[in-house]
Amino acid sequence: MRPSIIIAAALAAGLTGSAHAQDAYVVGITAALTGPPASTYAPAMEALRIYIDGVNARGGINGKKVNLVIADDSAEPSKAAANAKKLLTQDNAALLINASLSSTYAPVVAEAKNAGVPLLFASSVCPREVYPPANEGQFCTTAFASTYDSRAALAFVKDTAKDTVKIGFSAMAIPLSRGEMEFAAKQAPLLGMVALPVEVIPPPTADYTPFATKLKDGGANWVFSWAPWVTQVRTFEALRRLDWKGDFITWAHLEAEGELKRIKDGKFFVIGANALFEDNLPIHKEIIEANKKAGSKYPPEQMTEGWIAGMVIEAALKGAGWPATPAKIQASMSNLKVDLKGLRGGPIEWTKDNHFRTKQFYRVYKWDGSKIVVAKDWYSYDVK
Amino acid sequence: MQLTVNIVVLASIYALIACGYVLIYRVSRVLNLAHGELMMLGAYLLLATANSFSGNPAVAIAVAVALSLTVGVMVYVFLMRKMTGEMVLAAVLTTVALGILLRGVMVLIWSAQQQYPGQALGFSNPAIALPGGGRISTFAAILVLMTALTYAALFVFLRFGTWGVRMRAAGQNPLLAAQRGINLHAVYALAWGLSTLTGSIAGMLIALDSGLTNTMVIIGLKAFPAALVGGLDSLVGALAGALIIAAAEVLSIQYIDPLLSDVVPFLVLIAMLVVRPWGLFGTREELDRV
Amino acid sequence: MSDRMPRASGYFRTGYAQEMALTKTRLERVSLGAFVIALLVYPHLASPFYLDLASQVFLASIGALSLMLLTGYAGQVSLGHAGLLAAGAFTAGILSKELAAPIYVTIPAAAVTGAVLGVIFGLPSLRLRGLYLAVSTLALHFVVVYLGGEYETKRGFSTGITIDTPVIFGFRLYGGKIWYFILLAFAAATLLICVNLLRSRSGRAWRAIQAHETVAEALGISVAGYKLLAFVISSAIAAVAGALFAYYRSFVSVEAFSLFLSIQYVAMIIIGGMGSLLGALLGALFVTLFPYLIEAVLLKLPDAQSYAGVLFAVNYAAFGVVMILFLVFEPQGLVGIWRRIQSYFLLWPFKHKPVAGARK
Repeated sequence: MRPSIIIAAALAAGLTGSAHAQDAYVVGITAALTGPPASTYAPAMEALRIYIDGVNARGGINGKKVNLVIADDSAEPSKAAANAKKLLTQDNAALLINASLSSTYAPVVAEAKNAGVPLLFASSVCPREVYPPANEGQFCTTAFASTYDSRAALAFVKDTAKDTVKIGFSAMAIPLSRGEMEFAAKQAPLLGMVALPVEVIPPPTADYTPFATKLKDGGANWVFSWAPWVTQVRTFEALRRLDWKGDFITWAHLEAEGELKRIKDGKFFVIGANALFEDNLPIHKEIIEANKKAGSKYPPEQMTEGWIAGMVIEAALKGAGWPATPAKIQASMSNLKVDLKGLRGGPIEWTKDNHFRTKQFYRVYKWDGSKIVVAKDWYSYDVK
Repeated sequence: MQLTVNIVVLASIYALIACGYVLIYRVSRVLNLAHGELMMLGAYLLLATANSFSGNPAVAIAVAVALSLTVGVMVYVFLMRKMTGEMVLAAVLTTVALGILLRGVMVLIWSAQQQYPGQALGFSNPAIALPGGGRISTFAAILVLMTALTYAALFVFLRFGTWGVRMRAAGQNPLLAAQRGINLHAVYALAWGLSTLTGSIAGMLIALDSGLTNTMVIIGLKAFPAALVGGLDSLVGALAGALIIAAAEVLSIQYIDPLLSDVVPFLVLIAMLVVRPWGLFGTREELDRV
Repeated sequence: MSDRMPRASGYFRTGYAQEMALTKTRLERVSLGAFVIALLVYPHLASPFYLDLASQVFLASIGALSLMLLTGYAGQVSLGHAGLLAAGAFTAGILSKELAAPIYVTIPAAAVTGAVLGVIFGLPSLRLRGLYLAVSTLALHFVVVYLGGEYETKRGFSTGITIDTPVIFGFRLYGGKIWYFILLAFAAATLLICVNLLRSRSGRAWRAIQAHETVAEALGISVAGYKLLAFVISSAIAAVAGALFAYYRSFVSVEAFSLFLSIQYVAMIIIGGMGSLLGALLGALFVTLFPYLIEAVLLKLPDAQSYAGVLFAVNYAAFGVVMILFLVFEPQGLVGIWRRIQSYFLLWPFKHKPVAGARK
């Protein structure tokens, strides 16, 4: 069989496309389900899918089902743009979600703006436009927030440290992580700490020891790292291998809970906006059950981000009523308060000017020898 | 002292990976650009055997090593053999395609998440204090030893082993070697098998030391300048090149800018191409004047 | 114009002008005309999604044509195409952001950048026979990506550089249809440039070099010089493609340019068929549409949504398989298949071409 004939047949099959019944809420998602950064976004989207499946099983929202159309963009801007076009024009999505690398934002934002459809960033870094004064069409539920995270982490260090802090910073060679660490390095002296220069580590590094050597030689007794989990954990392990005895604080990514149990180090602190499953809240039990029923390949501990996104979407769509035009959904989202049942320190509150949240809550966890415990309970920053 | 230790560890990693490039290039003039992926495959194989033979680490390791040797031979027998005799360009492009295929298959089977074969095997990785003040992790030390062992074994094999001599002959002049009765296909298969074996060992040890992610492929690519700087068809050159590149990288991390460590191997590579393109110990090539 | 099958009988060329013309027979002219009309009408019939696909294909074909010149005709493997695209994109981005340079300045500037990079990275390696250019272009890729990342961080564009809509003489270049025609124009121009290059002295020199380097040198062709020329031209065109990409997406960021992108371009010319410009176009078409094909096929399977997560891996694996199949079984690529189909119809009821020496 000539390959060309197969190709032509498949092309014809693909071009016919599929018709979508407009008797449901259509939510389009472009996500980095595969590709290098997938481990951050794929579990979140899986959680969102499980949540929406649960909502549909319970009868839907306002009596109508929610139709999630998930497209993979592999963190490539061109693919994300094409996905956005397809979701908006062919699938007629009334709400668009971007769960991918920041490099995919610009084209997707342009498409959403063109179509007048609200755009939600879930599990992907919140762009500047959702902070006050917020752009009318962009919203964000993601836990981590630049500059606030550094402030919270440094506040924790100041509270916990017993003598003068000489703090080192470890970033991955991506602009986002570097920018944040540079900001933190500028903040630290204002709190009375001595800041060492930021160590920027390229992702494909065979051995983190040389970088750790430089940190240790600099005399750091604390190290703060805000980067993808790989960089954070490997810097820490390399430091320990060099017999460095200091404290390490880092951002609690999805993997944090499992990793805390693996590393078992009392001076390894993770700071995050989401409650860890160790707290065993009722909502956690609910997530574990849904995860088991769906037979997901991701552990329940990685489902928080997606679950929160699901709760927010449900509330937004409920507020928009039926039939829901994109404008109505956007209006509903511009005035929303969702109780997260303990998954975060407080509710997600969106106003006309603030599409991030009015208060950003943080909590610090650590390992105390036998289990994960809270090192510092919820403290918040007002988002202005 | 710690700096020296770091340089030696990094050089061992690069050297162990680089000898895979050198073996295949020397024997068949093909650049195996799928070496990084084959290396990662070895580490994943270890993970798979670790999960199956979880009680018995030695068996798991032995099976993984045997499997990777088989994979290398199979790659030649089923794929590269069809490219023997064709343009080298086509063979190199085939390795590129193979690399992509392997990457997709590995993610399909094992997912893209970070894995820890060391944990699956129940190994811990304590740091050893060295005389002079430096520290090295256990698996890094094992890696350095393995590199030394591998190179020693390869030297002896290529010098004195029957098949080693055959490999060298096939590398120097395939036509004459074939006329002399040497089974070229067998020699090439052996070269691919050995190359995949050494690459897999490197991959396994890196994974045992610090975990398994898919950036390992790019690490495999970074070892390529090491092979080139020393001379693509010289094992001694691979060692020398690895040392130079590792030293450049570690020293630039410590004294210049950690971010440069990604680019430094390639800058050294370009410098070498300008000054002495066939590497320190490689066979001299013809230079055309522009 | 060597072993082409005659497509009309009783056709004679009586002057040099006719010999040099791009389309020789009436059939060629008619089919070219029909094709052009189809291209011009397409944007008015297609949905925005398919319009975007077509634009992507044109953009890819610019890069593929330049790579075909280098690899298919001059015989050099380049793994740095993504780096050249990035260089062009960043040139456009930096110039328009820092100096507010208009588009008709940035695109030539991108071409110059590409050419300069071609000289810097081509000179050391093209003096040698063998695959050293592949190595050199790998270095090119890492260096360009590093420099791009540095620029992004130092100037505060952590999430990438947004480029304002280009304006020519007061006319805003915005919208799917306008960019379709712009990219179509550039692709056609590139095709014309490549066709003419190949018909001229440099094209003949490249063919000679690919056939046998030593003999070419003996004939007086400066082997290294022409190889360098191929790389420089190819790099300049690739950089222009990168700049166009930046304007089309209104956005530049270093993450978009990975090694896989370079490999995709190499795949385009392998799958299309090396040594043929038509092959570059077919290859660009195939490789650009391939992921969407795979996606459409997967979505027809039951329980489609759960496959969304593995789509990329399936893509990669399928891509690798297709490349290997073409390399092993069909070295002439899609063009080879096309030619076989053509000759089947032209030769019917016979099976084989007439023997060389018989009247063509």
